[in-house]
Amino acid sequence: MEPGAPATINQSRDAPVASTGPWEGFTRFLGRRDVLPFLLLAPVLIFFIVWNLIPTLWLLGLGFYRFSLTSGRPPRFAGLYNYRSILNDSGVWIDLSRTFLFVFFAVVTETLLGMALGLLFWNSHRLPGRRIALTMLFSPMVLTPVAAGTFWRLIYDPTFGVLNSAIRGLGFSSVDFLGDGRVAFAAVLGVDVWMWTPFMVLMTLAALASVPKAELEAAEIDRLAWHQRLRLIVLHHGKFILMLGILLRTIDAFKTMDLIYDMTYGGPGSATQLVAMTLYRRAFEAFNMGWSSALAVILLLISIAFTATFIFVLHWRERREAES
Amino acid sequence: MPDIRLSHLSRAFDKFKAVDDITAVFAEGTVTCLLGPSGCGKTTLMRMIAGLEMPTSGSIKFGERDVTHLAPRRRDVAMVFQYPVMYRTCSVIENIELPLQRDRSLSAAERRRRADEVLEVLQLSDERDRHIGDLDVGMRQKVAVGRAIARRCDVILFDEPTTNVEVHAKLALIRAFKEFRARLRQTVIYVTHDQTEAMTLADQIALMQAGRISQCTAPRIMYEKPESRFGGWFLGNPGMNFLVPRGGEDSGLRFDVLPRPLERPAAAAGELSLGIRPEHVEVLLDPAQDTVPARVLRSSITIGGQNLLSLAVGEARLKAKTAPGVPQADGATVFIRCPLEHTVFFNDGQRLPEAVRALG
Repeated sequence: MEPGAPATINQSRDAPVASTGPWEGFTRFLGRRDVLPFLLLAPVLIFFIVWNLIPTLWLLGLGFYRFSLTSGRPPRFAGLYNYRSILNDSGVWIDLSRTFLFVFFAVVTETLLGMALGLLFWNSHRLPGRRIALTMLFSPMVLTPVAAGTFWRLIYDPTFGVLNSAIRGLGFSSVDFLGDGRVAFAAVLGVDVWMWTPFMVLMTLAALASVPKAELEAAEIDRLAWHQRLRLIVLHHGKFILMLGILLRTIDAFKTMDLIYDMTYGGPGSATQLVAMTLYRRAFEAFNMGWSSALAVILLLISIAFTATFIFVLHWRERREAES
Repeated sequence: MPDIRLSHLSRAFDKFKAVDDITAVFAEGTVTCLLGPSGCGKTTLMRMIAGLEMPTSGSIKFGERDVTHLAPRRRDVAMVFQYPVMYRTCSVIENIELPLQRDRSLSAAERRRRADEVLEVLQLSDERDRHIGDLDVGMRQKVAVGRAIARRCDVILFDEPTTNVEVHAKLALIRAFKEFRARLRQTVIYVTHDQTEAMTLADQIALMQAGRISQCTAPRIMYEKPESRFGGWFLGNPGMNFLVPRGGEDSGLRFDVLPRPLERPAAAAGELSLGIRPEHVEVLLDPAQDTVPARVLRSSITIGGQNLLSLAVGEARLKAKTAPGVPQADGATVFIRCPLEHTVFFNDGQRLPEAVRALG
């Protein structure tokens, strides 16, 4: 090509860019096809490595050490000692069982309530006050758990709480919601349901938005019963989004700590002690970092197991439907 | 089976009137094709009949029963959508049986028997237990047709059911449609923009334009005696030729394509035009009685081996369909004859009923 001739579309993308000056080599380097994608990904990769990968590897390593911040001794390699200690600790098993119960009741209630409310709000565009109602419905979700915890601690208060005031007004005696071991778990669970049901409403509305209108119209003309429509159309199309919501809520409920910290601190006794709270107390009260790291790894593996199970169930259902 | 009576039916979306004051009767047991270009309101009209769209004003009756404000499920209608709508977790037979489950008078065995019968008519018996996801679009649409006809309800609605299927599946669907029509006599509304389909399937065609039915009659009459220039233009491939007179008011109406002037129709008051279909324009190689010379502007071969000629006669332009053999060379001179018995007058776009006659 003659000097000064215009570039043609046949030129390779890797062809040197005609530029001069000290930046020539640098811009040529940036323009290389094997470099540019990595450069674009670099910020998120660096973030991921610094804030996710390194701490996780650090945690994984620390789990094999006996390391207490109160002893003043340097970490000592102990192999699987911490893991054996955790597996032999009945307190951890009880807390873990309590956590599974919490996750089960919270996620099931939130999913059912969320779906019911989502279905109520579905196609309600002409309903007067719909936006205000939805804003009010979603507001608990945007509160920080500490604020929600404080808010509900005041509501549950046996002396000044509005709930007990109402109970007394009905002629019953006050209930110490957070101080009575028989009701504290349900009281905390109720707050979690209050906070996170809106999330499942949101997921349900998103799932419903993915349902093709024509199929619903066909079902209406074909006179299908509501449960047939729900099963054959709504759940069929919305199951991915709903399952994603359930998965996210499961993992999140499994990690619940801040709400418990603010409302009961695991008490009374250990009635509301969830495993994340156990982890916190062992790490930042007892300063047993090695043991806590090992427990954190176990919790991480359980979360991964949840995710893998959900993905497997979804794909298995899909495969089964395709094969049948 | 009831007829469908529409009375001053309108549907507006904000300021746009999709259906504008339609009054019509679709006779019981007949197939009525709603035909028209995209956006003319035919789908909106059909959705109102189904109950999926509420009219802004007017009423819909099935026989004597006013269904205007009834939900679709209470109207006893079945519908086939443009895209094959399936219950995707079900098999073929389950898809057909599902709507029958609401009919308490049918036993499970009767439902199964009826579904099997439909599958046989549609030649889908071999696919009976297959999962619906394994079928191609054409087969799924057949199942959708089967689901609609198995219910044996009073009215069946088809919303361009062949638009999204390939040509062989389309032919199979049309065959299936004719087959079930031979057995059952429901009142059918069939929306299409395909005039061939409408001409083939319909007992009557309701031609729609800008939210109104411009003509509703048998296909043959619609083709030969269109009420409006729009009907003449829309039906036929290509549509009707329209020719305007070039003066000569005192001594009759003169047209470039006619050797003699025509009598001015008594009812003519506005803009006049003369219509003739391309297949009625006779093209000759030599001059003969009542012919005028024409120049071939362009020629092409249409489906079926016919020649389609674009011709110029003076300032007039027209198209003619001829048998093979007429010179196709551009610029060649031919002689054309427009038989008056195949011509119609339009006055301000509307056909005049009186016959076209030459002066003297």
